[in-house]
Amino acid sequence: MSALLYIKQLNWKVSGKTILNNVDLNVSTGEIVGIIGPNGAGKTSLLRCILNQQKDFTGTIHFKGKNINSYSAKKLARHFAVVAQKANPIFALSVFDVVSMGLLPHKTMFSLNNSQDLHQMTLALEKVGLANELHSQYNHLSGGEQQRVLIARALVQKAVILILDEPTNHLDVYYQHQILTLVKNLNITVIMTVHDLNLAAQYCQRLVLLNKGEIVADDIADKVLNPIILTEVFQLPCQREQDPVTNVARVYFHLADQITTSDNEQLSTNNEQQRNPTNNNKDQTQAMSHE
Amino acid sequence: MSKFSVKIFLLAILCLASTFAALTIGPASISTQELVSCLMGVCQNTVTEMVVWQVRLPRVLVGLVTGIGLACAGTILQNITRNPLADPYLFGIVSGAALGATVANITVANQLTIALPLAAFVGALSSVILVVVIAKALQRMEQLLLTGIAVSFMFHSITQFLLYLGDPFATNRVIFWLMGSLARVEMSNFYVISTILLFALVIIFALHRQIDALLLGDESAASLGVNVDKLRLAMLAICAALTATIVAYCGGIGFVGLMVPHIVRQVIGVTTVPLIIGSALIGGTFLLWVDVIARSALDSAEIPIGIITSAFGSIFFLLIMYRTRNNQEAR
Repeated sequence: MSALLYIKQLNWKVSGKTILNNVDLNVSTGEIVGIIGPNGAGKTSLLRCILNQQKDFTGTIHFKGKNINSYSAKKLARHFAVVAQKANPIFALSVFDVVSMGLLPHKTMFSLNNSQDLHQMTLALEKVGLANELHSQYNHLSGGEQQRVLIARALVQKAVILILDEPTNHLDVYYQHQILTLVKNLNITVIMTVHDLNLAAQYCQRLVLLNKGEIVADDIADKVLNPIILTEVFQLPCQREQDPVTNVARVYFHLADQITTSDNEQLSTNNEQQRNPTNNNKDQTQAMSHE
Repeated sequence: MSKFSVKIFLLAILCLASTFAALTIGPASISTQELVSCLMGVCQNTVTEMVVWQVRLPRVLVGLVTGIGLACAGTILQNITRNPLADPYLFGIVSGAALGATVANITVANQLTIALPLAAFVGALSSVILVVVIAKALQRMEQLLLTGIAVSFMFHSITQFLLYLGDPFATNRVIFWLMGSLARVEMSNFYVISTILLFALVIIFALHRQIDALLLGDESAASLGVNVDKLRLAMLAICAALTATIVAYCGGIGFVGLMVPHIVRQVIGVTTVPLIIGSALIGGTFLLWVDVIARSALDSAEIPIGIITSAFGSIFFLLIMYRTRNNQEAR
């Protein structure tokens, strides 16, 4: 129970359909945890349960040793900051307007922004490299800059855990790396859902692979990105290699009919090689997830 | 002094000056000097004193708070629904009031002075309650506006049916009342509307950060600790009470709540505090001048206010469409 966030036997069903099934997860202070998995695996649902936005789950979620249900919504917002996928406000909000929203959990009724708040907001924007954009219109910024503004809002929120739901969706390669480098350098606990497995492997200390609401693997990227497991989970033949620069595992998927006979033989050989040295990684990771 | 403070200061001066100007303009012309002496209680002409205190002042003050109230209600409804086309009237408030007024006309026509505003208020509130109940039952709180339009049409058809069956005199009375007018308002109306307005403004300023959080989406607001459904419901109730009171005393005055926040967003800001202050000042000023036109444009009769605001509103929207098209072409 020393983990910052402790989840035990988390189950969530909607109209008889299992969304999350016996999820066990511990997150320690300072960890960057990536939640990966196919569409409908339960990634966002898990985040919703952690944020207590979903009340009808069974199981235990403890934050700092206390049940998540014992926190009011406002208190919870002081500990968890959320950076969602791209936001498209209808009205012409300024960067100042968006970042100052982060002050909400710390403010009382009627309170207006004071000079200390302004200083705090400027510092947060400096940290994300947007110090000169305080009065710019949020909608006029690029997708990457908008995500950085949302991260600045999260910093102003002074949260202990930063939750990111697909933070790199809609972003080009440059901004994907820029955002995730920024997140990595913040030195706070991060839980994020990521579709791009290679990005997740590069920036997360630990990956949690979800499939059909269950944790299939929970380990360092090198162990979770196992072609056998991934082929099974994503229903696509998977190949893996080491990135020559970062030495992190990289995986590739191909549609079955795109693979020629020789590719298929190569794939089988690769998968066999993966199977032997790790001595059946799948069994290991599954066993781990049940512990 | 910041740009925002300068703009608000200028708008406040304009609003104050308009209030004084509106007190002097009308069928009986009153000079500024006469007005000041009457307001200070040293009026030399008893007729002027009566016109100022019993006719002009109640009418101008009710016009001012009506403009402020409708603009503030529109502002809040647009922000909580994130829909720039949201307006108190789209939530079925006027159609509810019309139904209430029609029922009062048919059943207690001889006690209309009290019954009509009361019935209109009850009708307007019932309509909003129905909108919320349906939206909640369908678990579509974010689609309050569509539910409002549906309920509005339903109430409208019942009203039309009752008017079709009723006598022509009652029909005329209801139709004229729906056009909106400040001709029959009294000082007591000002006290009631301003009390509810004050209450609404206090709540809005207390929750301004929560309302702002909604501008980036419901999930974003929830992650900041906002109970989105409760907040939306509370704001809708406040706007409904405010608009229902105004409609009950002044009839249907459309487009103010729709138009004013649009203008204020362009010149002042989009978040609650600047938007509400700006909308209040511009809304109040706008309705004062609309009322001045209503009572002085024709020699023989008054033009119903709703006709003028609707005319302004339609021109305003054509201008917005023209500007949007030009902006798109410029890109």
